[in-house]
Amino acid sequence: MSLKFLGTIAALGLSATMATAQNYPSKEIQGIIQWGAGGSTDTVMRSVTPHAEAVLGGTVVMQNMTGAVGAIALNHVAGSPADGYTLLMGAENPMLYKIMGLGDKDYSEFVPINILARGTPILVANKDAPFDDYAGMMAHIAANPGELRIGSTGPGGVPSVVTAMMNTVEGKLDVIAVPYDGDGPALTALQSGAIDVMPAVLGAAIEGIRAGAMKPLALFDTQASDKLPDVPAVTSFNEGYATYLPWGPFFGVFVPKGTPDDVVAKLSDAYAKGAEHPDFTSLMDSRGFTMMAISGDEAEAFLTKWQQGTAWLLHDAGLTKASPEEFGIARPGE
Amino acid sequence: MDPEFRGDSDHHDGTSDATPGGYAEGRRPGELGFALILTAASLFLLYSAYGISGFTALSGPGAIPMATTLVMVVAVAIVALRTWRLPRVTSETLSRDILPPMVILFIGFLIVFGLLLKPLGFVPTAALFLTIAIKVLARRGWGYTLAVALGSLVVIWIVFRVVFTVLLPAGILPEAEFIQFFRTLLSGGAS
Amino acid sequence: MDTLLAILTIFAQPELLLLVGAGTFAGIYIGAIPGLSVTMAVSILISFTFSWDVYPAISLMVGIYMGGVYGGSRTAILLNIPGAPSAIATAMDGYPMAQRGEAGQAIGVTTVMSFFGGLIGILVLALAAPFVADFALTFQPRDYMLLAVLGILLVGSLSTGSLAKGIFAGALGIAIGAVGRDPLTFTPRFTFDLQIMEGGISFIAVMIGMFGVSEALLQLQNVNLKSVRQKIDKIVPSFGIIRKYLPLSLQTSTIGVIIGALPGTGGDIAALMAYDHAKRVTKNPKVPFGKGAMEGLVAPETANNAAVGGAFIPMMTLGIPGDAVTAIMIGALFIHGLNPGPMLMIDQPDMFWFIVGALMTANVFMLIFGLTGIRIFTRIVEMPRSVIIPLILLLSIVGAYAVNNRISDVYWMLGFGVFGYFMRHYGYPLGPVILGVILSRLLDDNWRRAIISEREDLGRFFEGIVTSPLSLVLFTSVILIFVSQTPLWTALKTRIFGKATS
Repeated sequence: MSLKFLGTIAALGLSATMATAQNYPSKEIQGIIQWGAGGSTDTVMRSVTPHAEAVLGGTVVMQNMTGAVGAIALNHVAGSPADGYTLLMGAENPMLYKIMGLGDKDYSEFVPINILARGTPILVANKDAPFDDYAGMMAHIAANPGELRIGSTGPGGVPSVVTAMMNTVEGKLDVIAVPYDGDGPALTALQSGAIDVMPAVLGAAIEGIRAGAMKPLALFDTQASDKLPDVPAVTSFNEGYATYLPWGPFFGVFVPKGTPDDVVAKLSDAYAKGAEHPDFTSLMDSRGFTMMAISGDEAEAFLTKWQQGTAWLLHDAGLTKASPEEFGIARPGE
Repeated sequence: MDPEFRGDSDHHDGTSDATPGGYAEGRRPGELGFALILTAASLFLLYSAYGISGFTALSGPGAIPMATTLVMVVAVAIVALRTWRLPRVTSETLSRDILPPMVILFIGFLIVFGLLLKPLGFVPTAALFLTIAIKVLARRGWGYTLAVALGSLVVIWIVFRVVFTVLLPAGILPEAEFIQFFRTLLSGGAS
Repeated sequence: MDTLLAILTIFAQPELLLLVGAGTFAGIYIGAIPGLSVTMAVSILISFTFSWDVYPAISLMVGIYMGGVYGGSRTAILLNIPGAPSAIATAMDGYPMAQRGEAGQAIGVTTVMSFFGGLIGILVLALAAPFVADFALTFQPRDYMLLAVLGILLVGSLSTGSLAKGIFAGALGIAIGAVGRDPLTFTPRFTFDLQIMEGGISFIAVMIGMFGVSEALLQLQNVNLKSVRQKIDKIVPSFGIIRKYLPLSLQTSTIGVIIGALPGTGGDIAALMAYDHAKRVTKNPKVPFGKGAMEGLVAPETANNAAVGGAFIPMMTLGIPGDAVTAIMIGALFIHGLNPGPMLMIDQPDMFWFIVGALMTANVFMLIFGLTGIRIFTRIVEMPRSVIIPLILLLSIVGAYAVNNRISDVYWMLGFGVFGYFMRHYGYPLGPVILGVILSRLLDDNWRRAIISEREDLGRFFEGIVTSPLSLVLFTSVILIFVSQTPLWTALKTRIFGKATS
């Protein structure tokens, strides 16, 4: 303990700009959350970080920094010193900034500390919709072209990717995409009948489904979830989806590239242990998220694969501003 | 009494927002210039709004901005025209009633504050600002000035930085190490 | 019986009672300081109460919420700087009262009326939550759009004097709200290719600048004036006064509950709408509006506190947040292992009744703390201006930064502060600017959703309005209010009733 004291006092005197693992963390760490208070990213980060703090023996002060689909937060952290005192707590969106024309940075400027969990998309419908499953919806679209209103959350959001998948697998669907600024408001609109169908994240829709406020059409995964065993996987309707699944949004903690390796190791260890905490895993499970808790090369590989698949899917659906090729994002399998 | 009269008879700056300042029957110094600047700015914004998405769709991201900037242009043109027709208020001058030296000085202080906030950090900038501002306004001794300025800064800093963990720009002070030091001290004492 | 027990849980455990009280007390101060918001406090509490049980955590949050909504009125009355957006309307008549030395009386009425509004909100939550939630769900994008248009028409009653200046200010507000990347298509709007503009302009920063900085700059001209001595002997309003405003406060509380219950609209819009309503129905106020009319205090304060109960309605019955604070509380419930959603009421009715009980307690604490701590607050206004002006400026800067941890918001805040200073001098009202910023997204997003849903077809859009009863009522109100504010109406009135009597 006294050593730690001395270290802190020394750090105070020298206004330590050096970061070494021996006394890391010698000051509080800033965690910049890319999305607003109360959202999924916010909830996930605020519930895992206290466990990681306990392992780390330091304090992580979490701040929400919203705006421009998270690009403001990403640029802020990318511009901070790479000393492990500024963490980016984000979701999958930055992987699509480049091709969507939203910015010139993505997670390739960062080192993943931990990719915590992944969500599973699910297609839900208003409870009074004139169809009960995925096949019924397809028949309805064919019979009533241009009438079905499907919720979306802007280019690059989960719904746009799921819709792009549907367009690729089933051929171009004639539907109206009504934009919302998040799946919360969109699911509210689904219940009020302003939209008919919504591709949402399982965790956000699960309570509504259990209460019968909305009906599930298909789970966008290769197999049914044990949370909702009665909802069929979309591959059971069309095998074509198997190419793109499993796919889902994810949450992760990142530091800028150039952060000393021993600091990265310390942080990775803290978040890996934090993510194992039963309170956290049960929370993630009840919200329908799949735990991943990967870091290092495994996480890098995951990010690359995710980016390739999604970027080309969106590009082929004609939803991008620039080709993935321009940014050196290879087509999957090449 | 003129029902259209909105100003206050002794105070020309509006008692509250529901009764704004200005005069119904006269044009204050600089009022026409202000209206003209607003007109020019509104026209520019209208042009910029047109650039967002043009006339492509009713649902385009530029539809509402275009409509609102058009309203701005029309409304401010009417205002400018009316202001132009009003007689000038002869009892006021720009440098005495609208922009007295003290206000210009404080606007200057604020600009300097904004510029120094990031490089110097919040605490030194705020200390400097409070001390100078209170000294200028109160014209009291240095003891009083420093005591009030630094005392209130400490309170504000504790509320925002420590209690509400707002990460104010740290600048040159090793603020985070300082806080961590006290945290360790507290947790050390507790365990 | 179980219900009653759940409501009374809070009294069975003294520490819960203490937490609600502490929360309410802290909330009043958080609300009073511009830049410290309830949203901020509650999201910090998520980490802070992480290891607690769910009841204590919720108790503290509920207290802060109730106290915070009320606390915004303090600085609005005393300094003409609304501590929170929902107190903008309160400043309009509260500050003139403080200038006459009647701040004590203004705070007294505000407190009692906030308590009353809060009570109505809680009662509706307790007795009619499922019904109100169903009603709130019937609002379609076009109804939200019409509601926003209705809100924008308030410009007329928020700006005494030149209507053209008011309209300009309102439109400017809507344009400010559109700055940044459009949240629906990510198209940059009014960003002029500058990265700093992409995140948009925080409306709290605009509010703090326009009201805080411009007020401080104006006060520089009277720095040597002695501050007004405040009378604080008659704080608690007489029963007669309360009874006089009872009908009005019932109406404005209803406005508050409904606007609060609608997802996407909250206490700020409710308070402004209530102010407008009061101005419409009060034919002969004792003091004119804008000069310190009691009605101008009663209406917004009942409405914004009633909106608290309202915001819990969709949260508790459907798991849909009624506003930003309830959105964070849903997150808190998740973290504490509950599953907020439509099933919460059925699976865990105790939680619902516990929140009702906690809200009720917080409301009572608000009344107690509100009526007792006035002396300290009035001391603030009696401080020498040479100290208070620099402090207001500093707090404005910190507050603007704290909203989103962005230095660009500080620049905006300062810019709008100086701009607002000129607006005040030249008779442009500031209220409509804030109104415009608040309503900008509501109007823009929902107009686009509505017209996209109708395949860009205006004919189908109007058909939708005429065939839906709710839309028709809203549309008719829009037309009526619009006509009543234009010269056309006066001409019509003269024609029907002969020469205008006034």
